[in-house]
Amino acid sequence: MSSESSKKRKPKVIRSDGAPAEGKRNRSDPEQEGKYYSEEAEVDLRDPGRDYELYKYTCQELQRLMAEIQDLKSRGGKDAAVEIEDRRILSCVHFMTLKKLNRLAHIRLKKGRDQTHEAKQKVDAYHLQLQNLLYEVMHLQKEITKCLEFKSKHEEIDLVSVEEFYQEAPPDISKAEITMGDPHQQTLARLDWELEQRKRLAEQYRESLSNKEKILKEIEVKKEYLSSLQPRLNSIMQASLPVQEYLFMPFDQAHKQYETARHLPPPLYVLFVQATAYGQACDKTLSVAIEGSVDEAKALFKPHEESQDDESDSDAEEEQTTKRRRPTLGVQLDDKRKEMLKRHPLSVMLDLKCKDDSVLHLTFYYLMNLNIMTVKARVTTATELITPISAGDLLSPDSVLSCLYPGDHGKKTPNPANQYQFDKVGILTLRDYVLDLGHPYLWVQKLGGLHFPKEQPQPTVIADHSLSSSHMETTMKLLKTRVQSRLALHKQFASLEHGIVPVTSDCHYLFPAKVVSRLVKWVTIAHEDYVELHFTKDIVEAGLAGDTNLYYMALVERGTAKLQAAVVLNPGYSSIPPIFQLCLNWKGEKTNSNDDNIRAMESEVNVCYKELCGPRPGHQLLTNQLQRLCVLLDVYLETEIHDDSVEGPKEFPQEKMCLRLFRGPSRMKPFKYNHPQGFFSHR
Amino acid sequence: MERAVPPTVPLGQMEVFQALQRLHMTIFSQCFSPCGKFLAAGNNYGQIAIFRYPGLCSPTPIGSAHDGPVYSMVSTDRHLFSAGDGEVKAWLWAEILKKGCKELWCRQPPYRTSLEVPEINALLLVPKENSLILAGGDCQLHTMDLETGTFTRALRGHTDYIHCLALRDRNPEVLSGGEDGTVRLWDLRMAKEVQTIEVYKHEECSRPHNGRWIGCLATDSDWMVCGGGPALTLWHLRSSTPTTIFPMWAPQKHVTFYQDLILSAGQGPCVNQWQLSGELKAQVPGSSPGLLSLSLNQQPAAPECKVLTAAGNSCRVDVFTNLGYRAFSLSF
Repeated sequence: MSSESSKKRKPKVIRSDGAPAEGKRNRSDPEQEGKYYSEEAEVDLRDPGRDYELYKYTCQELQRLMAEIQDLKSRGGKDAAVEIEDRRILSCVHFMTLKKLNRLAHIRLKKGRDQTHEAKQKVDAYHLQLQNLLYEVMHLQKEITKCLEFKSKHEEIDLVSVEEFYQEAPPDISKAEITMGDPHQQTLARLDWELEQRKRLAEQYRESLSNKEKILKEIEVKKEYLSSLQPRLNSIMQASLPVQEYLFMPFDQAHKQYETARHLPPPLYVLFVQATAYGQACDKTLSVAIEGSVDEAKALFKPHEESQDDESDSDAEEEQTTKRRRPTLGVQLDDKRKEMLKRHPLSVMLDLKCKDDSVLHLTFYYLMNLNIMTVKARVTTATELITPISAGDLLSPDSVLSCLYPGDHGKKTPNPANQYQFDKVGILTLRDYVLDLGHPYLWVQKLGGLHFPKEQPQPTVIADHSLSSSHMETTMKLLKTRVQSRLALHKQFASLEHGIVPVTSDCHYLFPAKVVSRLVKWVTIAHEDYVELHFTKDIVEAGLAGDTNLYYMALVERGTAKLQAAVVLNPGYSSIPPIFQLCLNWKGEKTNSNDDNIRAMESEVNVCYKELCGPRPGHQLLTNQLQRLCVLLDVYLETEIHDDSVEGPKEFPQEKMCLRLFRGPSRMKPFKYNHPQGFFSHR
Repeated sequence: MERAVPPTVPLGQMEVFQALQRLHMTIFSQCFSPCGKFLAAGNNYGQIAIFRYPGLCSPTPIGSAHDGPVYSMVSTDRHLFSAGDGEVKAWLWAEILKKGCKELWCRQPPYRTSLEVPEINALLLVPKENSLILAGGDCQLHTMDLETGTFTRALRGHTDYIHCLALRDRNPEVLSGGEDGTVRLWDLRMAKEVQTIEVYKHEECSRPHNGRWIGCLATDSDWMVCGGGPALTLWHLRSSTPTTIFPMWAPQKHVTFYQDLILSAGQGPCVNQWQLSGELKAQVPGSSPGLLSLSLNQQPAAPECKVLTAAGNSCRVDVFTNLGYRAFSLSF
């Protein structure tokens, strides 16, 4: 600021402050202060108001002078120049006044600024001081509040209440006189008391711990003693076994069975109870046993969370370890399937003894996830059986119990809910797994008390025996007849394969003494082969040739005549008769579609089977039917009318005694044998 | 080629037995009711079933109508006569549909043999005399008067049992064909055999490998058609000569004149329609492997039920509404 004003100033005026080197006249004598012309000092003396007036007056004068000059110049006269000069000088003076005033104004401004500046600085300093002090005050206040808020640990301890304290604490701790008045002392006293109490309680705790240890040790000792008793008891029980057997009271065995039975799943348990009851009450040849691992059965009942955790853990581990070779989708599906088809580890075994000492062993399983029961069957005979080729399927475990009740083929699961479960794991039908798992027959479910709704709506209400005891009886009887009929067939097949029709002595009356036609061949054929034969169409269309039946082909011969017989053996033999379809090759091929007599022969064997059943239980039906077939062939061939146009004698001379050869519009041959007269007549 | 195997229904003992019975059933005879709305059929188990035509509901069976097979049936205005094993029974059409219907009467013609009861293969109504002629296993024709129920005549002549009868309207004569291979004509008034035709002796029609038996007869006064073991032949009666031989190798069991055609059926599932010239006009297949009887519903009371029914070696009766095809089958 000072350098600015020095620049504007004319060189005439020397300023005392600022740079003395700048001024033209360099008189920097600080001692001669009073001699210098100081405009600053002048500023203080002069009145700004008056200066302002002076300024205004000067401006006016200038203006006036300018106007006069103007006038004079425009008028133009000789005197004008002098006048103008005068006026010019005057205006210069005025100008200098103005300049001075300007300077003064600047100096005043500068002074004013300086003063303001100083005052500001002071104010700032005070302000800072104030801030500092305020800050300190705040800090101190915070410290004070902190101190005030300080909670000592002693306040967290749950002390007993004051009244209790005064009641319980001994006087040397409570010091009532001091503490009553002084809260600080009171708290201290209370803390003291607290400490005392705690020490005492710690003592007690240690004592009780040591007591407990002692008692535990005693218990251990006693337990050992008890466990040492157990083997002794067992040995006593063992020793008593011979006594039990001697007295025919197998309590021990039964008891063990009941013990294991407790772990059976409900359907198997029902079966076990019913079978044991039935065995004891009605049928001494039935024996019941439980097989399988009881531990595994117990393991099934572990809590689910554990098993789930284990699963997830093991899954995680599996993933980590087999990261390179993950189990394929097929393997995973396989595992799921196995899981679904899992069996309960326990199974019930029933042994049915038949009259001829052959035994039917039935093992019943329970599939847990599917909630159905299955059975596996096995037949053992008293003597070793040589199985003829055609009898392969008779006693096979897969088919021996097929269709015990009509339609109960055991290849499909009886529980309709299983279909949804199968869809999830891609099992089409249970048929693929029955060999492994056993057959889920309907009667098995009934014996176990499992009742499933039937798939097809029943047209009439069938009065089912809901009492499982009578159901048990029927089933057991059916099982026995089934085994016996199969064994009988077994024996008969052995004989049939050698070409001999085994007719028992009490069935001889059904046939004439002399039978010339012979059974030459007896073989099994497959279901598909049977269906493809041209003379079996009617049976197939009538729905009598299902895939649960067994099929055989017999060949009867006499001379040049060959009679083929296709046999359908229903699993329900012998209550359901075998069905024969015939095809005769003699002078052309004759079947039931082109020869009424062949039809009549079939009718004799199929429809009139009841007289061929023989004595109960009717196991001779098949062999009697075969024998009758031979007789019928004899009659057919011998009663054929001789064709006069053909030369030569009859191939088969008539040896049978017949009243009439033909009868009725269809010219039937006399197929009915009359005993004891021994002649043939028509039905 | 795989045959479609029908699904098996669980079969108990009863169902299997019934199925076997149906498979081995033979329907021997049929007869339409006088009103034309019912058809009676008799089978080899001795059962008679009444079918309501045109309804397709199951028939009303008369369970054990006969002990043996029902070989023939005829119907008058009010009665149905059925005959089988040795006896003829009469039923009232009005009562026949009711439950537990019993026959009106049951008669047995006087037989010579006592060892075996001969069957009655054919029944014939003679409306002029109001009598019923029975013929069958004892080789005789018995006449029974329908009013009195007595057996008036017994015509002998056949050497083997009689298969079929036919009535010649103009002069009341009866033709009978039998197992011995002859067709005999009997005069009813004189009760005598008038003519004998030994069919098997004529070379044109005889077929020795089939036998000589005459299974079916039909007559149209001057003409007669017969068949069986020998081929189906049309004969001129007065001259006893075969005029047309129908080229059908299978033995025919039933033949009848119809309008200008001859209908025949026998071994084989078809109903054959022949022109009188001997040409085969049509062969309409039925559902049974062999046919034993044809029946035409020509009752004037029900012209809309004019049908032909055929039955034989099965439990079904085929109904042909139009002679060209089989419309449907009624089942026992």
